[in-house]
Order: sequence, then C-alpha cells, then structure tokens
Amino acid sequence: MRDSELLKLTISEIAPLIQSRAVSPVELAEAALAEAEKRQPALNSFITIMRDEAVAQAVAAEAALARGEYLGPLHGVPIGIKDNIATASIATTVGTKVLKDHVPDEDAEVVRRCKAAGAIIIGKENLEEFAAGATSNNPHYGAVHNPWNLDHIPGGSSGGGGANVAAGVTFASLGTDLGGSVRLPGAFCGVVGLKQTFGRVSQRGLLVTSFNGDHIGPMTRSVRDSALVLQVIAGYDPLDPSTVPVPLEDYTLAIERGIQGLTMGIPGNHYFDLLDPEVESAVRRAIAALEELGVASREVNLPSMEYVGALRFSAMADSVVTHEPYIASRREDYGPDTLYRTLAGQFVLGRDYAKAMKVQRIIKEEHARVLQDVDFLVTPTTPMPAPRIDAETITVEGRAQKTRGPGSGHISRNTSPMNATGFSAITVPCGFSEAGLPIGLQFIGRPWEEGNMFRIAHAAEGVSPSRGVWPDLG
Amino acid sequence: MPISNETLKRIIAEYGGFELSDAELELVRPEIDNYLTELQKLRDLDLSDVMSSRLLRAAEGDEANA
Repeated sequence: MRDSELLKLTISEIAPLIQSRAVSPVELAEAALAEAEKRQPALNSFITIMRDEAVAQAVAAEAALARGEYLGPLHGVPIGIKDNIATASIATTVGTKVLKDHVPDEDAEVVRRCKAAGAIIIGKENLEEFAAGATSNNPHYGAVHNPWNLDHIPGGSSGGGGANVAAGVTFASLGTDLGGSVRLPGAFCGVVGLKQTFGRVSQRGLLVTSFNGDHIGPMTRSVRDSALVLQVIAGYDPLDPSTVPVPLEDYTLAIERGIQGLTMGIPGNHYFDLLDPEVESAVRRAIAALEELGVASREVNLPSMEYVGALRFSAMADSVVTHEPYIASRREDYGPDTLYRTLAGQFVLGRDYAKAMKVQRIIKEEHARVLQDVDFLVTPTTPMPAPRIDAETITVEGRAQKTRGPGSGHISRNTSPMNATGFSAITVPCGFSEAGLPIGLQFIGRPWEEGNMFRIAHAAEGVSPSRGVWPDLG
Repeated sequence: MPISNETLKRIIAEYGGFELSDAELELVRPEIDNYLTELQKLRDLDLSDVMSSRLLRAAEGDEANA
C-alpha cells in the first residue's frame, strides 16, 4: 500500500496492520511527517512540527512491537496536539506571541496517556490566539486554511487539528472545546469532533483557559476512532479536581449494540433558528435517514434557550481573570480580536455573573429533563458552512453577524450551550453545501453516556453522503 | 441605552481595571452591547429561587447524575 493510501485509513483500519507488523511505525511516522511538511505551506496547520521527537517515538514503538509489546490501537499511530496543551520540552505557545517561548516541564495528562498508549505525536497544531474564537485566523502564526477550500476558515479554535485530520496528515488530533472549539472544526472540515461529558477527561496541562466548561477532545476520521481515542484519554485524574471517577464502558463494544430502540429529540426552537438553508436541508435529510433506519423521533422544546446569551457573562468574567497577568505584563503582544474581546469582561458585574450561573442551571436542568424522554438530541452543529477567511461578518436573515473578535458568537450558537451543561456532544459529517463545504450534524447525549452517543453517531456516519469523500489538495 | 465612554472610564479608574482609550472602547463596545442586550432579556426572569449551577458530579463508582 502506498503512503498516500495508508494515510487515508482510519485508526481502526491501520491498527491491525501495525499490530501484525505489516506497517512499520517508523515508516508511517515518516509518511505523516512528509505529508505534514508538504501541506504546511497551504494549510498552515502546525505551529511546531516535531520531526525528531516523532521519529524517536516511532523507533521506540517499533522496538516495542519487536519485543511483542503491543500497547493498543494507538500504538504507532501519528497524531497531532493543539498548541494549548502542554508538551514537555516542546514549545506550547497557546497561539499567542505572549507565550511564544513557553516550554512546559511536563506533559499534559492527555499527552501522557497518548504516549503511554504508543501514539506518535508529530506536531503542535495551530489555533486561534489563546483558543479564544471560532476562525483559527491567528494574528501571530497565520491563518489556518480549510482543506476543502483554502479560502475558507477551518473553524476554531482547534482549526489546525481539524485541517490535519481532514487532509490525511494526522489520524487524530486532540483539540480543546470551551464553546465548540473541537466540534466547529469537526463540522467545517468534515471530520468527527467529540466533546465528552465534563469531568470525563483531565484538563491538567491545558493552558490559559476557563475551567468552567473547557474540555480536551478528539477530532478523528470516524466515530469508531473517536471512541478509541476517548478510551485512551478518559479517566479520573486525582490531580485534576474537575474529573469524576465514573466507570468507563468499552466504547467500541457500545457501538456494536446498534440503534434499535433509540429515540431522538429534534429541538423546535433555538438550534434550528437562523440557519443557512443548505445546512438545514442537509441536517433534515440526515434525520430522515436515521428515521428510515428505525430511530424514533419526537419534537422537543427548550424554552429556556431564550436566555442562553446570558451564559456569555460568566465566560467574559472568567476570561478577563484568566488573562489578567498576561494583559498586565504583555498587553502589546496580544492580537486585537482576543485583547478587546477579553477586556470587555472587566465590566461584568458580580450580580450578573451570579445570574449567568443560575441561567446555566436552568438550561442544564431543562436539557436533563428532555433527555429523560429521548435518548439524545439532534441539531445542526453550525448555522452555516465555513465562512471565508477574509469575512469579517456573515449575513443571517438580513442581519450582519461578526465572525471574530468582540461581539462575535453566532458560529458557536449551537455548540456553546453544551459547554455550560457539561453534557456530551459529537459532530459527524452529513453532507456538503453546493460550494463543496462540509456540513456537520450534532448529537447531544446524557452525561456519562458517550457509548449511546457513539451508537447513533456511527449509524449516521454510515448513511452520510460525506462517507469516503476527501478534499482535493492536489 | 448605551453606557458612555466616560462612565466606562470611571468604572475602570474606580475599580482598578485595565485602561482603555476612546478608540479602544469602541473596539470593546460590541461585546458590551451584547452583554447589555442579553441582560435586558433577563429583566422579567425571576431567578431568586433558582439554585446556582454546579459541575456535573457522580459518586465514586456509582451511577452518574447531573
């Protein structure tokens, strides 16, 4: 099999080839690194390509195989890590000039787990500055480009990871999701993006964030691969008080349970409002396909979503507190989008922060109640396909919506609510716009029931028009 | 009604915030305007008897709960 064909396999397809030693981890790492270097001028998806470290890891992975030590499905598989997740002795810039020389002493817990599972980290991936936006148009390290159309954003903030998985550079990338930053690149790049239940995966080693709702999650080429990566990174971390010691099920076994008996809830408000017509059509077709497979459906209402904008108050206040020392010492090194969006947080009153936390409670309880009657919710992941990189605004029902900087937030209107509830959510590709840009379908599940969500997402992926279609990068 | 730049500057001065020029306040303003718009929506919502949010928790080794 040629390198270009190997790099288009999924993890679940290549893992048996590595285990049987039909594919060498060193040769696979070399192929992935060559692809990364070849695509970097067009995609700008990496901040640091870790050639020497990746080859050394691959040599070790191959030696382990030779000794008969197989570490599991990530053994010898090239992956990427978003550059706001700490990597020992490797610069971790968080996409900002402020931290351009920051080199952590320790790996983040998720990085430690991936390495222990034999994964080969080929680089640190480009992102929005401080992961604070949805475009991955970075003022210091350059814009990440969408593999499906280089003039368009890949989504953010984990845009480098989304672009790399879609382009066949990495088999999986770890991103972070505080308002949709794994699911938005998943949708815009046509890959699977997972935000598991808050508390399922350690955030230790995730830099400069609000710990009220951030999640480290995988972007992959299939739902089964998402399950494989979650199996590796999930688990209680006694050094991260946000993690919860809930037993893990075998997610790949969960997928095999099929979808009979599941009921989906289709929200009658908020999630289907202010949609691009092409997105709505693709999502409705995907829902109809699931119904044909035997999934029952029911319309559900979530009236408290009228107040969802209040959740932004706490995010604003959290953000300015998180950034306080950096703004105090390195304000001139910030890009304007992140700086001025962050500084607005200093005007949020404590009273309004408390209101936001109560609204968060109402929305969480309402979703929990609805999810007693249905097994999951299905929604569009984003209201539109990926905007152009140079678009400052997009027009929705006659009104201009900012894509970035102060006042933006429309792109993440369907993803950010689940950061507040903490419930699990996943995006899978469900087709394309007429311009050939991917469209994403989001499933929202009950807390700790990622297995159920993988079941339905796997079924949706199986009937998706996106299946087997790759971007043409020449 | 929008808050004037002078008021915002006084808030910054009184509460030890990060200084912003008039030009910078115009850059920040869309975020503040959104904040005030969303706050207005809460005006008639009685939150007095609502518990505050908390993180999802589950007892060790037990079934999950929200």
